[in-house]
Amino acid sequence: MNWQPELDELRRREALAQALGGAEKVARQHQAGRLDVRARILHLLDRGSFHEIGAIAGKARYDDNNDLLSFIPSNCVMGRGSVDGRPVVVVGDDFTVRGGSADATIREKPLLAERMASEFRLPILRIIEGSGGGGSVKTIETTGRANLPGGVGSALGFYYATANMALVPVVALGLGSVAGLGAAKLAASHYSVMTKSSAMFVAGPPVVARLGQTLGKQELGGWQIQTRSGAVDDAVETEEEAFARARRFLSYLPSSVFEVPLVMACADDPARRDEALMEAIPRDPRKVYKMRPIIETLVDHGSFFETGMFFGRPIITGLARLHGRPVAVMAGDPYHYGGSWTAEACQKIVRLVDLAEVFHLPVVHLVDCPGFMIGLEAEKTATIRHGVRAMAAINQCSVPWCSVILRNAFGVAGAIHQPAGRLSLRYAWPSARWGSLPLEGGIEAAYRAELDAAPDPEARRGEIETRLNKLRSPFRTAESFWVEEIIDPRDTRRLLCEFADLAGPLLTPGPTHFAIRP
Amino acid sequence: MPASLPPDHLKIFSDLNASVWRVLVAEGQFVAAGETLLLLESMKMEIPVTAPEAGTIGAILVAEEAVVNEGDPLVVMLKSAG
Repeated sequence: MNWQPELDELRRREALAQALGGAEKVARQHQAGRLDVRARILHLLDRGSFHEIGAIAGKARYDDNNDLLSFIPSNCVMGRGSVDGRPVVVVGDDFTVRGGSADATIREKPLLAERMASEFRLPILRIIEGSGGGGSVKTIETTGRANLPGGVGSALGFYYATANMALVPVVALGLGSVAGLGAAKLAASHYSVMTKSSAMFVAGPPVVARLGQTLGKQELGGWQIQTRSGAVDDAVETEEEAFARARRFLSYLPSSVFEVPLVMACADDPARRDEALMEAIPRDPRKVYKMRPIIETLVDHGSFFETGMFFGRPIITGLARLHGRPVAVMAGDPYHYGGSWTAEACQKIVRLVDLAEVFHLPVVHLVDCPGFMIGLEAEKTATIRHGVRAMAAINQCSVPWCSVILRNAFGVAGAIHQPAGRLSLRYAWPSARWGSLPLEGGIEAAYRAELDAAPDPEARRGEIETRLNKLRSPFRTAESFWVEEIIDPRDTRRLLCEFADLAGPLLTPGPTHFAIRP
Repeated sequence: MPASLPPDHLKIFSDLNASVWRVLVAEGQFVAAGETLLLLESMKMEIPVTAPEAGTIGAILVAEEAVVNEGDPLVVMLKSAG
């Protein structure tokens, strides 16, 4: 006799696992406009690539003959699969079983996913809904004791939640209501995306109500809250869009820090010149311009992937390709405080530069920075401390760097337009202007005595400004070789593609000398 | 978020803390999508606030030189039919 009866039993149990929390719970999930965890995994991965691990782990009930009566799977579905043909680990919460919370979890399942990502050096995709396998108060009753968070045997999950970020790409999708440990897993990632109908919070409305705050899920942790706070990078309308963004993010990164990013074939002419760049920057320094179209035209066609659009808005960050090579891009946005680096903008810079360093992405910086943000609000948010933190991140990074100064570079923030202490490539557009201090306000400070003594201080201020404006032409700076090159803006793409090609062979696989923090 | 705004109305909010430099439109005026409604001033830069779609200016909620914070409403528009 062969082993067919056992195989039949295996298939029966697997079929039970496919039913998740039961038809009624699954129907409720679908009625709320959300896919179930299995559908999510199938959509997220390459078609037919999902290899599940531990499908038949769960809670079983047996009859007097020890035959299986019923089975409820664990609320964590995990395994391997591929994205664009590259292997990944995927781990998803099943909200239809106890809302994804700990009393229906087998702790080792999500842990195994994290360990597999770590030890097999594979990107991990976390699909998060509910409390992410975290505790609910009910756990006290089902287990007959209270958890010590991080107590014996339970700390490893918390370890991997952040430790994997130093080894492999960690992408997190918040689909539904995400709280507690789920929120931590969402935030502890290189890239997080939520749907606009989802919400994320440390604790949800019923708990928060005890503080006297009566708020709906969206008011407390909807996308407008979380993408502006920087807790979640992006928000999209549909789950399908979230999957597409997760997949696209991974396309720019190597599978682990032990590899370098993949070079793709590039159909876009690296020497392409865009005439629009000749008038991209207004001559009037008070006038703003749109930075995003400039980024779009400089990088390979359609390759710019912006991250964190609503957080730290004076800086635009994202990933892109130059001549097919992935790069990290940061660029000032004059629409937001003239591109001044606020405390949040500095945090955003640290996040991008650390990501670039960990995954060996050269950095392109399109500079338009009139300095750190000033004023009372800026002081209250510790702009200068976040500023020097950005300075440290930029100076500590070792990936090749290229700066193009489009317009402003002022003050200490202006000084860290590229890492100090090593050679980077740098170009300035003819529209570039720089100095220790902007003239406006700077003149009053430096020429106080002269202005006070003048019969018409305002006229004298104007004279001084005209004089200084003439002297601070970028040509004078280039004359004394404070800046290496002033370029025709239309040549920028060619020079950036050349930079990416020069940078390629310099990229050195391996872990960074620091471990990135979320 | 304004809960009670009729569906054909559109409120435009400030994206940043700034002062109102110039108001370029008047109540009752028709504006095209993308037209500049007012200029904010922040860090010595003029930041245009534009109409996200075509419509009529219903109310201008701020005056020149007023200080606005991120998220403050600036203008109420009535969307064009169709």
